[in-house]
Amino acid sequence: MEFAGAIREAKKGAAELVVLAFLDDEPRHGYELAQLIEERSGGALTFNFASLYATLYKLEERKWIQGRWVEKAGQRRRRYYKITDEGREVLAAQRKEWRLFFELIRDLAGVRYA
Amino acid sequence: MRDRDLRRWRSLVRARAEREWRELSVEVVDELACHLADLHADAIARGAADDEAQQIALDTLNAASFLELSKRPRSRRGVGYGHDVRIALRQLTATPIVSAVAVLSLALGIGANTAIFSLVNSLSLRVLPVKEPQRLAILDAQDNGAWTYPILEELRRRSQLFDGIFAWDTQRFDLANGGVTEFVDGAWATAGLFDTLGVGPLVGRTFTEADDVRGGGPDGPVAVISHTFWQRRFGGAADAIGTRLTLEGIPFTVVGVMPPGFFGPDVGRRFDVIVPVGMLTTIRPERTFEQRDYWWLSVMVRLKAGQSVDQANDALRSLQPQIREATLPTHWPAVDLAQYLKAPLTLVPAATGNSSLRGRYERPLLTIMVVVVLVLLIACANIANLLLARATARRHEWSVRLALGASRWRLVRLLLTESLLLSAIGAGIGFLVARWGSQLLVAQLSTQTNTVFLDLSVDWRVLAFTTGTTVITALLFGVAPAYRAAGVAPMEAIKEQGRNTGTGASRLSLASALVVVQVALSVILVVAAALFLRTFTKLATLDVGFDHDRVLVVTMSAERAPIAPAQRMAVFERARQAVAALPGVHSAALSFVTPLSGHNWGNRLEVSGGVALDDSRRSALRNQVSAGFFETYGQRLVSGRVFTDRDRTGSPPVAVVNEAFARRFLNGANPIGHTLRRYPVRADEAPLEIVGMVGDAVYRRLRDPVPPTVYSSAAQSIDDLPTVEYNLNVRTAARSPALLTRSVADAIASVDKDLALTFRPLSDQISAALTQERIVAILAGFFGALALLLAGLGLYGVTSYAVSRRRTEIGIRMALGAAPAGVVQLVLSRVSMLVGLGVLIGAGISSWASQFVATLLYGLEPRDPATLVGSAAVLAAVGAIAGWLPARRASRIDPAVVLRDS
Repeated sequence: MEFAGAIREAKKGAAELVVLAFLDDEPRHGYELAQLIEERSGGALTFNFASLYATLYKLEERKWIQGRWVEKAGQRRRRYYKITDEGREVLAAQRKEWRLFFELIRDLAGVRYA
Repeated sequence: MRDRDLRRWRSLVRARAEREWRELSVEVVDELACHLADLHADAIARGAADDEAQQIALDTLNAASFLELSKRPRSRRGVGYGHDVRIALRQLTATPIVSAVAVLSLALGIGANTAIFSLVNSLSLRVLPVKEPQRLAILDAQDNGAWTYPILEELRRRSQLFDGIFAWDTQRFDLANGGVTEFVDGAWATAGLFDTLGVGPLVGRTFTEADDVRGGGPDGPVAVISHTFWQRRFGGAADAIGTRLTLEGIPFTVVGVMPPGFFGPDVGRRFDVIVPVGMLTTIRPERTFEQRDYWWLSVMVRLKAGQSVDQANDALRSLQPQIREATLPTHWPAVDLAQYLKAPLTLVPAATGNSSLRGRYERPLLTIMVVVVLVLLIACANIANLLLARATARRHEWSVRLALGASRWRLVRLLLTESLLLSAIGAGIGFLVARWGSQLLVAQLSTQTNTVFLDLSVDWRVLAFTTGTTVITALLFGVAPAYRAAGVAPMEAIKEQGRNTGTGASRLSLASALVVVQVALSVILVVAAALFLRTFTKLATLDVGFDHDRVLVVTMSAERAPIAPAQRMAVFERARQAVAALPGVHSAALSFVTPLSGHNWGNRLEVSGGVALDDSRRSALRNQVSAGFFETYGQRLVSGRVFTDRDRTGSPPVAVVNEAFARRFLNGANPIGHTLRRYPVRADEAPLEIVGMVGDAVYRRLRDPVPPTVYSSAAQSIDDLPTVEYNLNVRTAARSPALLTRSVADAIASVDKDLALTFRPLSDQISAALTQERIVAILAGFFGALALLLAGLGLYGVTSYAVSRRRTEIGIRMALGAAPAGVVQLVLSRVSMLVGLGVLIGAGISSWASQFVATLLYGLEPRDPATLVGSAAVLAAVGAIAGWLPARRASRIDPAVVLRDS
């Protein structure tokens, strides 16, 4: 039970990291993000459509990203999300944490299986 | 095409969210719809058929859980209270009739409350629109109603007492140059008015001490006009300054225009023209400034900064003996002089201005305020009942919402929002009703001789009152349904499948209690309405002692006519003869006073052979009349004779008295042959011999018992009365008196074209005397009827509901052989219990509360049994009708149908 909870929390944290990472390059809208995540993960990682937006709104509420309605020529009006400075700091910190975590897992795994 | 797609996806997203009882903001719905539309378009681009592509997008939508989305709404505005309001609006429009009835009763209830409150506010609460009104105080003129010019002079001589002092008197000025009068509301004022109030002119200048001298200053007679008058007469032209305005035949120069909000120190009046007090003797040559018994001025002061009214009074009292001593009225009897010296000079706070209207209307207005609050309470009870009925119907919906995770607080919030919205819409319409209603009421207060002006502009008090009333009202009628909603158990109503079992019964007991309250409140209102209507009817049909139909009163003023004072009575008499000779005129007579005109004249008297009386009981009212007066007024001759042409200068002075006089001064003995004279007796005054006694007739006020009255002969002129103005009373043969105005004016002009004439039918004068009673009666009657209607509706609703709940039971009874009459009785017994209880409570409260309106009543006791019984009967009748309709429906229930349905 506890284990499943930990994985769920980890997945949630990972989802936020992934979204922030994809927005680090350029502003994107929700559909584009969903497509990108699916494509890049080779279909291994998919977001429930509602939870993707729930994640976006949560990040926006924390002021890590900022959404804005944009109407581009020949396209329908879409909401584009852009990472904020605060978001970049959080992203950097999270990247570092995840790296440490992976290294730790690898080391621990190395000790066990060596 | 794209837009249509998007719209469709939007409504699909919304429907999906609804299914989960989630509320999404407009922006979130937009964004999700956009996503689905993209998904759909992409699938097509990848070669899927339209159906297939749609299914992909739909699957995505259906697989989604909206739980997280609506828990963390992106925009609080979207699903916060704004969302509640939208849901509430949808609920209200879903039951349009219930909502319309509720809004209408609220609009009337809140509107009436706001209207009456804005009158109370402008009459009693609002401070004068001047500088630091809290520092203003008025010299209380209890004894004589006003102050003399010599007293003002003495006060001004001690100017160190205050930061400012001024005196004023309201006066209607005639703008016409002879002939038919054209009055404007005006005022005399000392120059200190403007500085003391701290109000400057909008255009031009105000008048100064230099202008306020006898006969006019360097610029001659000057006048300051109001903004309204400036607009009305001069069209707001700047060159109005410097133009001439004729007042009472004297040309005045307009020197300034006051700003729009300024109406002077009197609340309830507005001036069009203010002239300096110094012009008194120019306009009224019969007056002098030195007159020590001419009481005409109101006096207002501005206290020094930090000075309290008590401190100012102490300072004033220390100087009082000198002020009183220096202004002793000459010719006054010693006993009156002693009282004059003793009477204290007292300042009272005057931040809210001076008002004669306040004293007259404060109690009636407060009474009506209570009445409208009760009407609003009845309306609240009705709406609470309507909403309770709807609440029962919605229990199913609520329990589903609860089962799906909505909190109880959320339900209560939704319901309270609904109540508040109803109340706010009602208040919005009510506010408009109030604006219109209060203006209508103020217009009703005005009479021909007295224009009432009240500043009814909306201020923070009115806004706060209406807002407060709206919220309290919403809570009053919204709490019961909200409480009911909070008690719903999740899924409970679903199990019940909408059957109203136990909960229906508890709703019924609450509803019944509300009906009892309504009936009780209605009884109070109906009793009040009956008391005021009966008071008005009694006064309106009072035997005034004369016949007031078909009498035209013409006030002739010789102020501007070049007639020697000694000749005036002769001119008036010639005018009378000219008018009496007109076709259509039955008779014409002169009189110094006309009844109920607001003017009166009285003396203390001593009667030969009369009973011993205290000084205070020796007063009698006087009138001076010509031959033909009693005939013109249709006043009954009891014994002796009336005045004839033989009663003239040189003949023995005679008097006619009324029956009240004989009762007071002669213990009811025949007064003929007795003589009377003024008391204390003056040696040089010849006594009047009483030659006739006439029936009692109303003199000053309808409500007063007829006072002892003495009539003397105008032709004998034995009293030193000012004869500058005299009344001509004209009885027409058949036509309405107003139609004679033209020919009477011409006839008088043929005698002297310079006489200023004011016309008014005597019946108008009597009707004006009943203004207050009429307004109170109309309002109480209207709201009493409204209360009856609302109570009737409430009773009908509750009885109908009870009948529908007991349909099965009634059906079974009838199947078992109960007669329709028995069913009617069954239903009515419950109604009569509710009504009976309400009537008892209401009658109890009424008989206690009626003591507070005793002073407004006339000719009946506050606990008048007939009124109480009558009101109870009216309520019973309304109850019977409201109960009988559903009862009859119950008696027509077809047992077969009912049994089959159940």
